[in-house]
Amino acid sequence: MGGMSTTAHRTLADQLRSWSDERLALLLHERPDLATPAPHDSGQLASRAAARSSVLRALDQLNLLELCVLDALVVVGQTSADEPLEVVAGDPVAVRAALTRLADLALAWESPQGLRALTTVAEALAPGTPGVSGLRPVSPDPLPAAEIERRLAALSPPARALLEHVLDAGGTATTGTARHGVGPEDAATPAEELLAHRLLVPRSGGTVTLPGEVGLVLRGGRTTTYDASAPPVLATSERDQTVVDRAAAGAAFEMVRRVELVLDEWSGAPPSALRSGGLAVRDLRALAADLHTDEPGAALLVEVAAAAGLLTTAAGPDGDPRWIPTDAFDAWTAKPTAERWLALAVAWLESPRLPGLVGSRDPSGKPWNALSPELAGMHQVETRTLTLALLAGLPPGAVLAAGTGTPSLVARAEWERPRRPRTRADQVAWAVTEGSALGLLGLGGLAGFARPLLAGDGAAATAALAGLLPEPIDHVLLQADLTAVAPGPLESGLARQLRLVADVESGGGGTVYRFTPGSVRRALDVGWSAAEIHGFVASVSRTPVPQPLTYLVDDTARTFGTVRVGHAEAFLRADDESALTELLHHPKAASLGLRRLAPTVLVSSTPIDVLLPRLRELGVAPVVESPDGTVHVARPDLLRARTPKDHRGRALRATREAAHVSQVVGAIRAGDRTESTRPASAERLTPAGSMAALREAIETGATVVIGYVDNQGASSDRLVDPLSLDGGSLTARDHRSDDVRTFAVHRITTVRDVPA
Amino acid sequence: MNDGPLIVQSDKTLLLEVDHERAADCRKAIAPFAELERSPEHVHTYRLTPLGLWNARAAGHDAEQVVDTLLTYSRYAVPHALLVDVAETMARYGRLRLEKHPVHGLVLASNDRPVLEEVLRAKKVAGMLGSRIDDDTVAVHASERGNLKQALLKLGWPAEDFAGYVDGEAHPIALSEVEWHLRTYQREAADSFWHGGSGVVVLPCGAGKTIVGAAAMAEAQATTLILVTNTVSARQWKDELLRRTSLTEDEIGEYSGAVKEVRPVTIATYQVLTTKRKGVYPHLELLDARDWGLIVYDEVHLLPAPIFRMTANLQARRRLGLTATLVREDGREGDVFSLIGPKRYDAPWKDIEAQGWIAPADCVEVRVTLPTTERLAYATAEPEERYRLASCTHHKIDVVRSLVASHPGQPTLVIGQYIDQLDELALALDAPVIKGETTVRERQRLFEAFRAGEVGLLVVSKVANFSIDLPSAEVAIQVSGSFGSRQEEAQRLGRLLRPKSEGKTAHFYTIVSRDTVDADFAANRQRFLAEQGYAYRIVDAEDVGA
Repeated sequence: MGGMSTTAHRTLADQLRSWSDERLALLLHERPDLATPAPHDSGQLASRAAARSSVLRALDQLNLLELCVLDALVVVGQTSADEPLEVVAGDPVAVRAALTRLADLALAWESPQGLRALTTVAEALAPGTPGVSGLRPVSPDPLPAAEIERRLAALSPPARALLEHVLDAGGTATTGTARHGVGPEDAATPAEELLAHRLLVPRSGGTVTLPGEVGLVLRGGRTTTYDASAPPVLATSERDQTVVDRAAAGAAFEMVRRVELVLDEWSGAPPSALRSGGLAVRDLRALAADLHTDEPGAALLVEVAAAAGLLTTAAGPDGDPRWIPTDAFDAWTAKPTAERWLALAVAWLESPRLPGLVGSRDPSGKPWNALSPELAGMHQVETRTLTLALLAGLPPGAVLAAGTGTPSLVARAEWERPRRPRTRADQVAWAVTEGSALGLLGLGGLAGFARPLLAGDGAAATAALAGLLPEPIDHVLLQADLTAVAPGPLESGLARQLRLVADVESGGGGTVYRFTPGSVRRALDVGWSAAEIHGFVASVSRTPVPQPLTYLVDDTARTFGTVRVGHAEAFLRADDESALTELLHHPKAASLGLRRLAPTVLVSSTPIDVLLPRLRELGVAPVVESPDGTVHVARPDLLRARTPKDHRGRALRATREAAHVSQVVGAIRAGDRTESTRPASAERLTPAGSMAALREAIETGATVVIGYVDNQGASSDRLVDPLSLDGGSLTARDHRSDDVRTFAVHRITTVRDVPA
Repeated sequence: MNDGPLIVQSDKTLLLEVDHERAADCRKAIAPFAELERSPEHVHTYRLTPLGLWNARAAGHDAEQVVDTLLTYSRYAVPHALLVDVAETMARYGRLRLEKHPVHGLVLASNDRPVLEEVLRAKKVAGMLGSRIDDDTVAVHASERGNLKQALLKLGWPAEDFAGYVDGEAHPIALSEVEWHLRTYQREAADSFWHGGSGVVVLPCGAGKTIVGAAAMAEAQATTLILVTNTVSARQWKDELLRRTSLTEDEIGEYSGAVKEVRPVTIATYQVLTTKRKGVYPHLELLDARDWGLIVYDEVHLLPAPIFRMTANLQARRRLGLTATLVREDGREGDVFSLIGPKRYDAPWKDIEAQGWIAPADCVEVRVTLPTTERLAYATAEPEERYRLASCTHHKIDVVRSLVASHPGQPTLVIGQYIDQLDELALALDAPVIKGETTVRERQRLFEAFRAGEVGLLVVSKVANFSIDLPSAEVAIQVSGSFGSRQEEAQRLGRLLRPKSEGKTAHFYTIVSRDTVDADFAANRQRFLAEQGYAYRIVDAEDVGA
C-alpha cells in the first residue's frame, strides 16, 4: 500500500493531507489509537501520531527488520531514500518494503531535506532494545568516510581499543581527566588522541560521544551487525492435509463434547466459586480426572466455556456463589456441533485468558486458579493471532516438526514482534497446545476449516468443519454384560436420555454406557416408569434387548418406592384408635393438617409449639415425646428479644452525605462562574490545536510565538524553538533568555507562527 | 471419516465392532499391544495399558507401528494426547538394559543418562546396585536381578533383560505325537514363548495348557521344575506328561506334602514351597536342588506372594507361566510381568471355541425367592453372616434336584462353598461328596469313576476349582461361591469346557437368592462371563423343569 512518495512536505501534517483516503485509512487501521477519539484535522492527527505513547505502541507492532531500518534512519538523519538500503545489512527488497511500511505507519516522513524519522522515534528507541544499533546520530557536518578511515588507520592500538569499547558501550563515555582541545601531536592518552582526531566529540558534563559517522565506518558502513532481513524459518515436516484436518476435526468434536459434558454435570452440581472468583484447585483436579486430561487442559475447557458466555458465577441453591451454566448454554446445546464449535473457537481467539498458567504458581507462590480474574494477559490475543497467522502462512500440508517446530515458531514470533515481553515463548507454545485442543490445529498444522475463521468468515469455517464431523447416530448396541455401546456420536437428546438411565463408562468417538441398579433407579426417580424404560431401550437398540437387562429394570422397579418418605412437623400417636378418629374429624382440627398413616398414628403439618395449644383447646390432653420416646415435660420458654443497635450511626451518615452534596454543589457553582467569565473570542486556539502546532514546530524545527501565563498569572508572548513535548510540558529554547526552558502546556494560551 | 471397525476412546479403551468386515484383521493388528478387557457379543473392549504397551515392545513392536495401526483402523480421529502418550510410554521400555558384562557380571546399562540418574537416586532400588562402572553402567548384585526388575517397573522404567539364561542340566525330552497332534495354537504358543525367552501364555481352560508346557519342555531339553496349585493337579500333570512325552515314570518326581521326590522333571505344589516353619521356608532348597533349565508356573494368576519372592532369585532360568486369565484379584499383574515375563501368547476363548477345541456353554442364572421367614432372618443378620444365609437357603436344594432331573444321563457337577450345604445336597441327591477333608486317594477314585461314567453326579467343594481334568462333565450347577470372584467363575466354567463328544453344549447353572448379596455377587461373576462372550439367561426357580 502506498509506495514511497517522491514529493517532499514541509510537515508531517502536510504529508498526511496529501495522502489518498486509502492510505490514511490504512494508517488508522494499523494504528487504531490515532482514530479514537476522531481527530479534528490532519494537523491534530500528525500531532497525535508523534506523541510518545502512540509511537511506542506503533513500535511494538514492528518486526526486527523494520526496527533496524527505523534505527538506521535515526542514525543517518535526513537522507535520500536509498541510503538506508546501504547501511542496513540484508536483502534490499526487504529493506525497501520496510521503509514503505514505516512511511505508511507515519513513523517516518518526506521532509524537504529527505526522508526522516519522527523526532519522538529517536527518543523512544532506547539503546539495548531489539533492533537498536546503539549508534549516535550522524553529526550535522560529518567528516567524509575516507577521512575517518584514514584517521582510524593512524590510531595507536590502545586508542583503537578504547574507541571500540565506547562503541560497544552505546557510544557515550566519560573522559575523566582527558583534556579537550589538544592537538593530535600533544595527545598524551588514548582518550585525548581520539578527541584530537574528532573520533570522539566532547559533550557537556564531561562526557564524550562517538559520532554516528565514526560508528558506521567502524562497522563497515552498516548500522547493523547482523542480517535482520531474513525471518527465522519455521521447522516443518510434511503431512497429508486431509489427515491434519481429520485430526483437528476430531479435537474440535472432542472439545464440544467435553464442554457439554462438564456443563451438564455442573448444571446439577455446580462447583463453588472462590472468594477471589476462581475455581478451586480441588474441583479442577476432579474435572481433569473425569475428562482424562491434565489441569491446564481442564482449565482451558472451563475458560473457553466462560469466555463463550456459557458459564458464569451466580448464587447457587444455598446462596453461595457457584459456577453455573448460563441460559446461553441451552441455546448452544440445541445447535449443530460445528456451530457450537464456532462459538467456542471465536471465544478463544478473542479471549485474553491464560489457562496455560494453571498448574503453576504465581510470583508470590500461590497456585494459579482457573477462572480467576487475574488469569489474563494483555498480549495474549495478539500473540495468539500472530501465532495462528504464522501457521496460516505455511503451505497446506506443512506442519510444525515434532520437537523443533514450536521453538522455531517462538523464534519467528520473536522476530516478528521483537519488542514484546520475554514470557512470549510460553504464550506461543500455549497458543499451539490450546489451538490443537480446540481443533484449529491438527498435528501441528492449521486445519483447512480454520483458515476461513482466521479470515473472519465463521460461516465458511462451520460449513467446512461440518463435512468432517461424524454424522450423529440414533442407535446403540445393547450387550449381555449390561452395557450399551454407541458406535459414534449420539444425537444430543438421545445422549441425554441415555445418560439418565445408564452411567457413562467411557467417552470419546463412541460412548459406552452401563446399566446399573443405581442408574435405573435414577430414571425412576425422575418419573420414568419401568414400561417407559423398556420401551426406550428397545427403541434405541439395534440389537435385541438382552434378557438380563430386562430383569435388571424389573428388579429395580419392583423395589422402587417400597419405602415412602414424607414431611411432617409432628406426629400424634395413641393406642386408642377411636380417639384419633374423633380428632381427625373434629371440625376445628381442619387447619392442623392432620393425616392418618396407620390406625394409631397421625401426622400433622403444624409445628409442635402451635399444635400443642391448639390440641389443648380442642379438649385433648397431649404430652410431648422426646426423640428417645420418653415423655418430655417443660414449662413454656420465657421470651427475650435482642437489644436494638445504636442509632447514632445513622445520624453520622446523614451529616457525611450532606457535606458531600454541598461539595459537589460548590464545584458546580465554580464551574458555572468560570464559564460566565470566559471571553467570547473565537480566535483563541483550542488546546488540541496548540499541541498540534507545537508538534509541527518540533518536527520542522520552526520558531513560534507562544502566549504564556507565568506563575504570577501574568500573560506574555515568548519567541521559542520547541524541542520536545512530553508529559504535559514543552521543552523549548527561549529566544529572550537564550536558554532551554520547560513550559507547562496548560499555561500556553496561543501558538502563532512567526512570519517568515 | 474412515470406515474402520475401531473406535479409540479418550480413556484409552478401544471399542472393536465385531460384525465389521475388517474386524478380524483389526483384532490381529491390535492384539499385540492392547489387552482384551471384555468380549461381549457385539463390541469388544480392549485397553491400552503401560504393561500392554511394554509387552508389545518386548515382542519387538515399536510405537510407530502401534500409532499406525490405531490410525488405520480407527473410525474417528484418534485423540492426539493418546498418541503422544502411547509414544512416550513405549519409549520408556528398554531405556535401561540388564546386561552381562565380561568383567563385572550383571550390570544395568543405559544410553539415557538422566534416566539412569533418576533411577539411581530412587530409594526403591537402593541396595540392589553395586558400584558405578562408568557414566552409563552400574553393577547389579546378581541376586537382585528380579527385585531390580520389579522395582524398575514400579518406577515406570521397565528394564529390558538381555542378561540371558543358563542352559541348565540337559535332559532329553521329546513329544510323542502318536494318535494326537499338537494343535496349531499350542505350537504357536510354545514357539512364541521359546523365542521370547520367558513369559506367560494365556489360554482358556480346557484348551490344553499342559501340552503347551510339554512342548516347551521338549524345546528346552533340560531338567524342569513344574509348580502347580495342588496335589491332584500334580498327578494330572504327571499322567499327561507320561502320555504326551517320551518321559518315563522314573524321570518324573512329585514333591508335595505326601511325597518328596526330586527327579529330572519335578512337579511341586505351591502349598509345599510356601510352608513356613519357625520363620523359614524349609522346602526352598528344592529350587536349588538341581540346575533347572526351565521352570513352569501353572495358574500364574494364583501365584502366591512368597513364590514371587522366590522367583525373583530365579531370573537366570527360563520361566513359563500358564494361565487362563491374567486378571489377578490382588492386582499384581505388574509382578507377573517383571518376574515371570511379558505375555507371549493369548487367544480369545470364543476363537478357540469356534475352532471346536473347547465346548460351547449355555449359562443360566436361576433365581430363587426366599420365603418370608428366611428374608426376615436375612434382614436382621450380621453383615458377615448374610451371604451364607442367602446362599444356603434350602430352596436351592429343590432347584438343584429338578435341574439334575432335567439332564438325565449327563455327567453333572454340583459345586458349592459351604461344607454343610454340600453335605445336605449330597444327602438329598444321594451322590458322593468331595471336600477338603476327603483323602487324595478317595478323591482320585471318585474322579476316576466320574471320568469312566460310573458315577454320574458329584458334589464338590472349591477343591475342584482348579486343574482337575474332568473332561466328561457336561452340566455344572453352582450353589455358592467365594464372594463373586471372577477367576473362580472362569475356573468353574473351565471344568465344563473340555470338548464333548458330538460337539454337545455344556450347561452352566448358577442358583442365586433374589434381592440378597448372593444376587449382587452373582452379578459380579456373571459380568465376567458376559464379558467373555457367554450370553447368559435368567430364569425363575418356578420355571425350572417346566
